[in-house]
Amino acid sequence: MSELLAQVRRWPWGFAAVVAIALLVANVIARASFATPSSWPSTLADFAPFAIAAMATTPAVLSGGGSVDISIGPLLNLVSIIIVGVLIPHGLGSFWVAVPIALATGAVVGFVNGVLVAVFRYQAVLSTLCALFVLTGIGLAVLSQPASGTTGWLSDLGNSVGPIPGGLILILIPVAVWIALGRTSFLRSLYCVGGDDVASYSAGANVTGVRIVAFTLGGLFAGIAGIAYAAATQSADAGQATQYTLPAIAAVAIGGTSLLGGRGSLLGAIAGAAIMFLIQTLLDSLNVSSNWVQLIYGAILLFAIVLSSVLARPGRPTLAAAEGPVA
Amino acid sequence: MSAIGENRATEGAAQVTDSTGSQGARWWVRVGAVQRRYQLAQILALVALFEWGTWTITDFATKQSVLSMLVAASFLGLAGAGQTIVVLVGGIDFSIPAFISGGAIIVTNLTSSDHWAFVPALLVVIVFAVVLGAANGYVAHRFAVPPLVVTLGMASLITGALLIWTNSAPTGGAPAFLTRLTSVSSTTFGIGVPPVVVIWAVVAVILGVGLRRTIAGRKLYATGANPVAAELSLVKTRRVWTGAYALSALLAALLGVLLGGYTSSGNITLGDPYLFQGLAAVIVGGTAFGARGNYWKTVLGALVLTVLSTVLVGKGYSNADQQIIFGVLILVVVAGYGRESRLRDRI
Repeated sequence: MSELLAQVRRWPWGFAAVVAIALLVANVIARASFATPSSWPSTLADFAPFAIAAMATTPAVLSGGGSVDISIGPLLNLVSIIIVGVLIPHGLGSFWVAVPIALATGAVVGFVNGVLVAVFRYQAVLSTLCALFVLTGIGLAVLSQPASGTTGWLSDLGNSVGPIPGGLILILIPVAVWIALGRTSFLRSLYCVGGDDVASYSAGANVTGVRIVAFTLGGLFAGIAGIAYAAATQSADAGQATQYTLPAIAAVAIGGTSLLGGRGSLLGAIAGAAIMFLIQTLLDSLNVSSNWVQLIYGAILLFAIVLSSVLARPGRPTLAAAEGPVA
Repeated sequence: MSAIGENRATEGAAQVTDSTGSQGARWWVRVGAVQRRYQLAQILALVALFEWGTWTITDFATKQSVLSMLVAASFLGLAGAGQTIVVLVGGIDFSIPAFISGGAIIVTNLTSSDHWAFVPALLVVIVFAVVLGAANGYVAHRFAVPPLVVTLGMASLITGALLIWTNSAPTGGAPAFLTRLTSVSSTTFGIGVPPVVVIWAVVAVILGVGLRRTIAGRKLYATGANPVAAELSLVKTRRVWTGAYALSALLAALLGVLLGGYTSSGNITLGDPYLFQGLAAVIVGGTAFGARGNYWKTVLGALVLTVLSTVLVGKGYSNADQQIIFGVLILVVVAGYGRESRLRDRI
């Protein structure tokens, strides 16, 4: 048991993964059809935008200095608006047009956020709050009424591509990018900078560059999340701009990533997102009235974050305040 | 009160730079020091925006229009009050909208559908806010978990409880006197401003003085500036956190009561607009995480944002354009003062 606990402490996301698996089992017990392979594509398609939004939030958080990007939600919403509300109605919905535009939009917005934080030294919460306002506004300007639509490749991604669920493919793309980056020095620099930016700077690390790349990477992932959202819902609604923003940050924290930076992983974000998603599906399966869903969801969220913190840190808990701002 | 921007203690470092280089001090260093103490940029922005509105929009500076701007600013400023306190202590509170909706729904439901008198209903609101708000701060501190997640969970918990209690359809209206408190046309003891503006002014004075001049206020700054040092100086930082979040929730819930009067109804989404707007008021004012700032700054931030959005509405910008201009202008205004120090200066 204590060995297990030690393992959990070594991998901060281990606890989240265990809870996520337990919730998965509970879901299957509550509704046997949850385990039928034919239901997987639609479940994964629903899960993908949220999971990828959580992954998109991760790089900026890891880069430290309280760098949390709260514009991820509106950004992914804007990307879905561009795909469903602009490109498809104008006959530009083909894969080789829409996907590069979606990814470029995400990366450019992420890059601008990164430059504002790293070069112009804005507090990340402030500059991404401004980005949140601007992106929400652009979304409303582009698409004043909710729209719906889909096209061949997009509905495949919302369902399955050959035998593989589309949602799974979308979730695995950021993971693959992350693994590829693990072969470069970038990830190591990212964790260094996130752990202590001043020390990293003194040691000659390119703190500015690392932060910009981290935000750009987050933006790129948000672009993928936008595609996933468009694929899952086949619709776009400018009024939904902020729906994923805060839950995505919560998922990152539940997944064992320190909001102070330097500690955590992309897998933690998936595990954290899975916990929040599976709670919802479980409550739905149990036919809990939607009013109670909110209450129970909040209670479990509180319980999960407290438990993961207690398990991850042995002994007397450190000062919450020492964890720092926005953390 | 010459309290606007009394930050000698927290922003001493900047002023050291100023005084050491004062002979040949570059002009922007001097301007920066003045800005830190007197919120130059925000006041200039406020005056400029107001003048712009006065000269280009008809009826912008009429009594009626100024009063309605003041009422809107009061709501925004009160929404930013709790957030200011929590941000000063080094946290953040995303449950403010839930407490606002909670305050409004509890009062309107109890007084109209359940025929309670106003005072017991208000007591219920106060107990509800203080207990759950304190729980926010206690849990975040005791278990060292991010306040962002704790307050999000709490917000969901409260929203759920309100939905269950009202069966997702809050009914009822506000007592007449409550509506009068927030009505633009009403007066306070013969003075020609709505009572809600006076309430805001009173809250501003109490918070402005309380944060700066009382022991509790100093403990709050000590905790926000350096929690470990504060703990070693025998400040019970857990109590400070618990108290700060309880106060934040209380202010939000009381704003909810006022908003319940303003809209004459309770509504589960009543508080939602005040989350990011309230945070914007705090940040535009110039308060930053960890004991940099005070409530006067947020008052100024709320005024700037309210005048800005009134001008944008008056200019006939669509909601979409308003959001975009809002975001860009905040960046521009804050560029002059709200930025972090260079890494090479922090070694």
